[in-house]
Amino acid sequence: MATGILKDVEIKGIACAVPDHIVRNEEYNEVFGEESVRKFINMTGVETRYVALDEQCTSDLCHAAATRLLEKLSWEPSSVDALILITQTPDYAVPSSACVLQHRLGLSEDCIAFDVNLGCSAYVYGIWLAATMISTQDLNRVILLVGDTSNYGINQNDSATAMIFGDGGSATALERTAGKDIKYFLKTKGSGYRNIIVPAGHARSRSRKDVAESEYELSMDGSNIFSFTITDVPRTIESFMSKYNIGRNDVDMYVFHQANRFILRHLAKKLNLPMDKVPLSIERYGNTSGESIPVTLVDALGNEEASGPLKLFLCGFGIGLSWGGIYLEMDKSVCLPMIYTNDYYKEG
Amino acid sequence: MDIKEKLNILENILDIEQDTLREETVLDQLTEWDSIASITTIAMFDSMFKKEITPEEVKGFKRVKDITDKMG
Repeated sequence: MATGILKDVEIKGIACAVPDHIVRNEEYNEVFGEESVRKFINMTGVETRYVALDEQCTSDLCHAAATRLLEKLSWEPSSVDALILITQTPDYAVPSSACVLQHRLGLSEDCIAFDVNLGCSAYVYGIWLAATMISTQDLNRVILLVGDTSNYGINQNDSATAMIFGDGGSATALERTAGKDIKYFLKTKGSGYRNIIVPAGHARSRSRKDVAESEYELSMDGSNIFSFTITDVPRTIESFMSKYNIGRNDVDMYVFHQANRFILRHLAKKLNLPMDKVPLSIERYGNTSGESIPVTLVDALGNEEASGPLKLFLCGFGIGLSWGGIYLEMDKSVCLPMIYTNDYYKEG
Repeated sequence: MDIKEKLNILENILDIEQDTLREETVLDQLTEWDSIASITTIAMFDSMFKKEITPEEVKGFKRVKDITDKMG
């Protein structure tokens, strides 16, 4: 297990933006039948979701979140040393959307900017990457953007995927801070790469003449993902907690990737965690892919006026298969209220 | 655990009326035996019987009896 402690780094702020366009899953009664929709909602917990306009990209949602965050922290754009965007739904095949956002946010040309392709585990990997850059390099401020517009390219007649995803973008500010640290573990099981996949549309299928329309759509093997989540994930969490001697009472809040409510309840039960320490945002926001952890934090703490330290365990798991966890302390007041926006970038 | 209790557990997780399942019932003939049932079956074995079963094992279940036998 890749694990370690990143020293002298802290999360200073988290902002999230979702489209100002709510979709209620009851609206699918006519497509899939009332009974199927009821069963789906009971299993996944997803009652409403926020879905991006056709013109609205992940970068637009991340831009809204980052702009609000920079304002709130009074960070000059020129003081940001690096901008990382983790997404599976970039604006273009090339170039990196992070480069476009470096320009749109008015960041310096001395700013490092690049994209990373990860989904459910994106936030944990992103925190590790940003914190590593600060902890081991001569960088002071990094903005991590994690977002997806997962509803793009979804088959609206596939009940497994049509009602599950919410769109959103997040921005997290990390800064060099003496005495603060982040403990992490990261894992990969690429043998399960076909469990969540869009098979066509990129290089692997370009020489084939027989690509079916459905291969351009997201396909998920729910049973295999569930099996992975209730075996590999809790085992790794247990060994991480044990390695760093973190007891159940050393954590104020366990924030998991919002895959689906049934999975989260089962995972919590298996780890003996009380559900009042496991906040859920999936009922109202859906499965918000890589940004589901910050969305859940902002949903739970965004209107928190009190300050004070909060010990958090954050854990993302899924597509790849890839998973990871981090244990850190941050102030309750770092999360900003949720942003609802239909703004998008008009090129040209 | 007797057979009635095992069947009642299965009826509960499949959202089927109590005391209606029989061991010889063919799973593919149940409309409730769908992709969600596969997940809830794995969860049931994990939480109630402390057995980690794979999706392939679930696919191998043909009749209700295959599940009740696995319960032990």
